Amino acid sequence: MPVKKQWDVVVIGAGPAGLAAAIAACDSGADVCIIEREKKPGGVLKQCIHDGFGLIRFGERLSGPEYAYRYHQMVSERGIPVISETYLLGITKNQTDGKFLLQMQNSADSIFILEARAVVAATGCRERTARQVFIHGDRPAGILTAGTAQYIVNIQGFLPTRRCVILGSGDIGLIMARRLTLEGAEVEGVYEIKPEPSGLTRNIQQCLTDFEIPLHLSATVLAVHGKRRVESVVIGKVDQSGQPITGTERTVPCDALILSVGLIPENEIIEPLGVEMDRKTGGPIVDQNMMTSLDGLFACGNAVHVNDLVDYVSESGQTAGKAAAAYANVQQQRGLLSERRTVSARRLINIQAAGNMHYIVPQRLDLAHHVGADDGADNCAAFYFRSRVRANSALLRISAGKTLLEERRYAVVRPPEMERITLNLADLNHICSPDWNDLPGQSRLIKAELVSVSEGGDSANDNG
Amino acid sequence: MAEGLAAVRSALMRKNLNVDANEWRNSVALTGHVSSWEQYMEAGYAAAGKGYEAVVNDLTVEGVVPFKPSMPEPQNPIDPDTYFDAVVIGGGVIGSAIARELTRWDITVALLEKENDLAMQTSSRNDGMVHPPFAVTPGSKKAHYNQRGNKMFAQTARELGVSLEWPGMLMLFSNPWQRAFLPAIWQRIKQNEVCGVEFWNRQRVFKMEPNITADQHGGVFLPDSGIVSPYQLTVAFGENAVQNGATVLLNTVVTGFQMEHNRITHVCTNRGLIQAGVVINAAGVWSDVVAGYANDRFFTIHGRKGTAAILDRKVGHTQRTILSQPRFASHSHTKGGGLVPTIDGNLLLGPTAVEVPEREDYSTNASALEFVFDHHLKLNKSLKRSDIITYFSGVRACTFEEDFVIKTSDYVANLVHAAGIQSPGLASSPAIAQDVALLAVKALAAVAGRAIQPNAAFDPCRKAPPDLRGMSLEERAALIRRNPSYGRIICRCECISEGEILNTIHSLVPVQSLDGIKRRARAGMGRCQGGFCTPLLLEIMAREQQINIAEICKSGGHSEIALQPTKNAAVDCASEGAGSAALALSAANNSRRQEDYNAG
Repeated sequence: MPVKKQWDVVVIGAGPAGLAAAIAACDSGADVCIIEREKKPGGVLKQCIHDGFGLIRFGERLSGPEYAYRYHQMVSERGIPVISETYLLGITKNQTDGKFLLQMQNSADSIFILEARAVVAATGCRERTARQVFIHGDRPAGILTAGTAQYIVNIQGFLPTRRCVILGSGDIGLIMARRLTLEGAEVEGVYEIKPEPSGLTRNIQQCLTDFEIPLHLSATVLAVHGKRRVESVVIGKVDQSGQPITGTERTVPCDALILSVGLIPENEIIEPLGVEMDRKTGGPIVDQNMMTSLDGLFACGNAVHVNDLVDYVSESGQTAGKAAAAYANVQQQRGLLSERRTVSARRLINIQAAGNMHYIVPQRLDLAHHVGADDGADNCAAFYFRSRVRANSALLRISAGKTLLEERRYAVVRPPEMERITLNLADLNHICSPDWNDLPGQSRLIKAELVSVSEGGDSANDNG
Repeated sequence: MAEGLAAVRSALMRKNLNVDANEWRNSVALTGHVSSWEQYMEAGYAAAGKGYEAVVNDLTVEGVVPFKPSMPEPQNPIDPDTYFDAVVIGGGVIGSAIARELTRWDITVALLEKENDLAMQTSSRNDGMVHPPFAVTPGSKKAHYNQRGNKMFAQTARELGVSLEWPGMLMLFSNPWQRAFLPAIWQRIKQNEVCGVEFWNRQRVFKMEPNITADQHGGVFLPDSGIVSPYQLTVAFGENAVQNGATVLLNTVVTGFQMEHNRITHVCTNRGLIQAGVVINAAGVWSDVVAGYANDRFFTIHGRKGTAAILDRKVGHTQRTILSQPRFASHSHTKGGGLVPTIDGNLLLGPTAVEVPEREDYSTNASALEFVFDHHLKLNKSLKRSDIITYFSGVRACTFEEDFVIKTSDYVANLVHAAGIQSPGLASSPAIAQDVALLAVKALAAVAGRAIQPNAAFDPCRKAPPDLRGMSLEERAALIRRNPSYGRIICRCECISEGEILNTIHSLVPVQSLDGIKRRARAGMGRCQGGFCTPLLLEIMAREQQINIAEICKSGGHSEIALQPTKNAAVDCASEGAGSAALALSAANNSRRQEDYNAG
């Protein structure tokens, strides 16, 4: 059957963010489809066979495939098409009618165009590679990222190592330390260049401590040796600025180096549209409706910023899907009335991350449109932020001009652990009155400040 | 020659080197012991250019164990009666081009390569530049072959179906006073017959390259500077050679020769003896060692390592030309590297030039990469360090004369050398191949005592697989309709389809490793560096070659990616019977591919 070509909403990616977005768009009455380059939906969850997914969303500890299956079921029940094994070559936006043209390729239909009133980019993230953290020495077989190792072990059923060193204490690395140990491989140790682990505390406990796998902080891999296969790596301690300390080098015989050194949001497909990007998150700047700087283009999940929990990924997908449906609906009505007026412009104000706040998402608020979440709190918008440092007592203050919107204390904040808050926008509309709008641009923003009462070492990072 | 010897000895004395120099045939041979690799190099250069054909540097160096060529894993033996009229040693760009050139004649040709693919060493570890004949010393062999090769390149690439572009090179002046070199530059241009050169002032440079550094004072533009994929070119030479009847023997290393009087009768390899009419030495960094097997080691190769970095294709559009900022006054042995657009749309930084004792040392280190950043990244102000997606090292095969060795041996009747080929070896390759093939055919005719006839069936045009990058969307759509495997994208970063990968696996010189697929089809070359496609490539290769995933290697030897099945999978594998299905699928793919070739 030939692919239907015209849609209200096209969702790029059938991972947890994309599935949630499509369901929300469908429930809001949009004609929606999902495009996916892999054979099956679920994204990276398919290979995450450990548990711990869905505690917030479903109140249960699910495995990755189970979590994905539930969402896939919801997609199937609604009859939302998943156009799988299909690759997106590029997107353009028609300036006249505001529609998006998606150039697609697959084996069955060769090359074709999909047309969409709104697009949701749920493109996920990729792993930082050995070269991007400047690993030197030889380049033999056996240097691989934790996610690739996870695919080989969990999907393909092969062991890529018998004795390995893991560099980086990101969550996938910790999960793989346990997984490889269970499969009979030896994990010599996990090495983290920073003085603080990058992964979730629960993963340090359950994946390393419980299996007696040593975690070495302020230590890194200085060189890889081995002509064909990894034969050894050289480990060294680093000082506070991350520079190797001479005399601390140690050669560790092993057959693999597995890296868990960070994730990078994947936005290469939308970047050519001129979308504004956030240097800190690596994702597009979005408003509370998850709309990027380009009208009609939404983004969600790990493409926007690397989340620590899949539940938040789904939440942002849901927001994006619902908002995309609302946007498409307005577009359609305008089309029916043959009106040429522009969409009512967004009234955007910037949210500035200050103090020890590493970043906050969304980075903007649109006061003219607010689609809201499904949980009844329609006037509330969810915000996610990370601290730049570890702090045992931190104070969050969100203010607009001189008005304090929110103040909250945290017993502990850590860079690996994302925090979520909601803001009631009803108050905001009141504060951001017409006179507030007359203020000079610099002061016309919302400031989200994180002040630490006591601090640990500086350890900003984006590991998910 | 005695005067020459005195000159060499006094040069060595001036350097305070306790080295003995003696004549050996037309060369000067150095013996003794020095304390460092720097001294070894110093002695070699001191002895060069003193009236001898070449320097044989036999000095031993404190703490340096002489390195030997890496050896392939054990292979199946070759039929002991195997005979080839011409045996080419070395499957780099030079050896492969020579093999192809030899198939113009009605002779049997074998190309021997010790690695598991062509272009595994220097030919896949360079900047892919087709140099204009500017930096080469006037009157040298390098200058001659660079001029001729550069002119032949367009036609060669067309015949082989290899992408080639001519972005031109812009040599920037970093100081106003560097313009004082202009007269010398013009003289060099005249001597070397460099075509179409223009002087660009500061404004013109900015107009052509808006992202360029402010720290420039105009420059010289050399339009005859091209870019090509050096490994795809090498494989294309090899494939066209096979198409015209040559045999490529991979994983086959030469370990010696059997000689009778002044001629080679047999080439000794790890797979047994091969009888040879004529032998061509294109063994790259090991060409002096191979010459030594015939007692004709009249020159010495030393390895000069170059490290280069590759930037994301995202920033490829920020620059049109090859940018360099040469140190005009220096006598260093490199053109200084630069910022080179690659044929695949990336930018390449470098390469560096460092003398190394180990000739297959492809390791990288932080200082080399820092050097590359410091010198070249700043030339284009839109570039950042985080745009780096990978870096690599290669080793140039240099002689102390810093010139090519292209000749029939003076002492072995059926041995032709194509040695000491370093930059601009890529640009020179078509011309070198032409001359070496003629020398070889002449030597063969002499030793065989018969006239050699041209090969009437020779076809210079390679049956090239479809090049999807060069296609319009309509053409690509038509190709996918004909063969759906071109519709399935495997490498998401570089947009490489399964069909393109299958072409490398079923090439006339079949690929045997993941790195081979990466070089030839670009799968895994992008920003995720194979993170996503490596497992998929393992599956495709296992299916096509009907082998287990755990047998597939990254490069050669024991470089398997997957080592053994996991606990549960071990049980599943035992009961699996999907072999015949895979076979049928593979056969279907093969027949479709044949049609693509015919159509393309």
